[in-house]
Amino acid sequence: MFKDIPVDVSPMYEGERIRAANMFVELAGPKSIGAELVQVEEAVEDGRIEVRGPEISEMEEGEIYPLGILVEISGEKLEKGLEGVIERRTHELCNYVNGFMHLNQRDQIWCRVSEKASKAGFKLEHLARTLSILFREEFPIIEAIAITIITDKSEVEAFLDKARFQYEERDSKARKLSDNDVDVFYGCVMCQSFAPTHVCVVTPDRTALCGAINWFDCRAAAKMDPEGPIFEIEKGEVLDDVKGEYKNVNAVVAERSQGTFERVYLHSVFEYPHTSCGCFEAVAFYIPELDGIGIVDRDFRAETPLGIPFSAMAGQCSGGKQVEGFAGLSLEYMRSPKFLQADGGFERIIWLPKHIKDSLTDFIPEELRNKIPTEDDADNIKDLKKFLQEAGHPIIQRLKEEAQDEENVQEEDVKLAEEVRVFDENVQTAPVAYAPELTVPTSSGVRIILKNAKIYAEKVIIKKK
Amino acid sequence: MIIAVSGKGGTGKTLVSSLIIKALSNTGKDLLAIDADPDSNLPEALGVEVEKTVGDIREELKQDTQTGKIPAEMNKWDILDYKIMESVVETPEFDLLVMGRPEGSGCYCAVNNMLRKIIETLSSNYDIIIIDTEAGLEHLSRRTTQNVDIMLVVTDNSKRGMLTAQRIGELSGELDITFQKMFLLINRVKPEKQEEIRNKADETGLKVIGIIYEDDDVAEYDIQGKPLVDLPHDSNPVKAVSKMVSQILNIN
Repeated sequence: MFKDIPVDVSPMYEGERIRAANMFVELAGPKSIGAELVQVEEAVEDGRIEVRGPEISEMEEGEIYPLGILVEISGEKLEKGLEGVIERRTHELCNYVNGFMHLNQRDQIWCRVSEKASKAGFKLEHLARTLSILFREEFPIIEAIAITIITDKSEVEAFLDKARFQYEERDSKARKLSDNDVDVFYGCVMCQSFAPTHVCVVTPDRTALCGAINWFDCRAAAKMDPEGPIFEIEKGEVLDDVKGEYKNVNAVVAERSQGTFERVYLHSVFEYPHTSCGCFEAVAFYIPELDGIGIVDRDFRAETPLGIPFSAMAGQCSGGKQVEGFAGLSLEYMRSPKFLQADGGFERIIWLPKHIKDSLTDFIPEELRNKIPTEDDADNIKDLKKFLQEAGHPIIQRLKEEAQDEENVQEEDVKLAEEVRVFDENVQTAPVAYAPELTVPTSSGVRIILKNAKIYAEKVIIKKK
Repeated sequence: MIIAVSGKGGTGKTLVSSLIIKALSNTGKDLLAIDADPDSNLPEALGVEVEKTVGDIREELKQDTQTGKIPAEMNKWDILDYKIMESVVETPEFDLLVMGRPEGSGCYCAVNNMLRKIIETLSSNYDIIIIDTEAGLEHLSRRTTQNVDIMLVVTDNSKRGMLTAQRIGELSGELDITFQKMFLLINRVKPEKQEEIRNKADETGLKVIGIIYEDDDVAEYDIQGKPLVDLPHDSNPVKAVSKMVSQILNIN
């Protein structure tokens, strides 16, 4: 197939780097310009190959030249939405060529031709021909393909403008990519060395808790290192679209958490929240007094209105635990339209550090922007409530409705609660645990469920087992 | 082949690393030097300037991620790959990668995982890799030196230098990290004390591969900040290290 190509072509050359000491010329890269672009066209002359500008044989050793790679394709089943995926393969396919280095993508490519390849007579024309063959092989839906390689500076400049416009269009589409648009989610167990039951589920709407990897990164990682810590999860059956519960996600979480957790809601802090690793960027925490949710991130050192700082909260829910009322999350997730959607999204958020709020200006619904307090407005529950009331935060309406509902329920409950309530104000106590719902194990056939339980203690003793 | 140079801080790891590179630079092999000591100055010893370290890149990427600066469809693997390649200092004789500052707060699992893979790929393109490790034992317990073929432990004649050397030997045994070969190199030895120190060195349980004499040139170069790689060919450290290098090359 590659008989008339003067160098070897094989996947084994992937990852080939060419040292400056061994290269003939450099193309694109940090000291020049370059781009690659795949375009789906109506009619493409199959097999057309063109090099516009100097060929390798006409280049001077040790010099740096601009580079443009334009791949035009046509086919009945091809659509514009596939351009990005196909373009993404340029990197690997170029690297099949022994003596040709290719890094990165889009307008950030960086290529080198080795001295050896140049001596063997390798030309850009050969690169184009190789790409033309490999692309058709990789993507049988390509019916016709034409490759243009550009090294003429002014032509590359013009090409760059055209390409950037296309990237921007694609990105604006990608930013809108939602869980509903894809068939595959990704799981990541990179943190299992210290959080052995933590399974991160990464979806277009939900970046990994650490904030470091999103759905696109996972897609690349799973392909690059199929045996690695990042793996595909077929989305499969949707059990609850709002809460974000999926049959396959549950199954994978059960398997990868060694059976510890059987269900996960991707978009809620209640019932079955996502497990938390330990290195999440921020944590969402339930504030039972006001039935709202607060957010605090790693960089916020002071105490939250709950009276404890991020570090204490992280201690409570990290290590791969699933703790109702707490969920570790990434800051990026707060930019998603599905952000805690089952709980009410930003309408349920009643406190967050100012620097986070400022970074989310464009993502917090306009009518809520002045209603969500930060540390400047409140640092305890009392002030928080006052602020929310004055600002008219939707949580106040919610609280009223709930109070009404509760009045209509059994009065016995209330009495009982009063009897049990023992709170000596002269004794110093510290909050040790919060739980929106806490079941106390009993043996007499009754279940005692504590709602909005706040546990205070005079003394906490931690003993080594 | 991967050669790691380890030992207590201040015993001369950087001197040894730079002289290994000097000794290898006329063999026509592709050399990669990795400065893995956040506190070291291998670039200065090699006489090259570094614009950006892996640590800088890691922080940059973290910043760009947090502020949402990375285009939606671009993946961070490729971006890191490019940036790491960009940070490599390239010279006709050798290339140099500097790890730089340690991590800040927050989660580095993902980025470190990517970096490991990327540096592995990068390294596979070289014939010989010389790692100037961080002082002490961290690199062993974190298993960043587990694929090393030759572990070269450097000590001076101090008790503490010897003890660290001994611990490196013991710890690699305990952690079940097997190097193809492990050697001790003694630096800054007064010629008249050679025998005494050799005997002491035997107590470390490591095989002594060479001895570098105390050298006025090295001291002078250090004071003036001159690259150690430019030490004269007939100076004792250069000769001692180059002899050791040919011994190592003969093993393989």
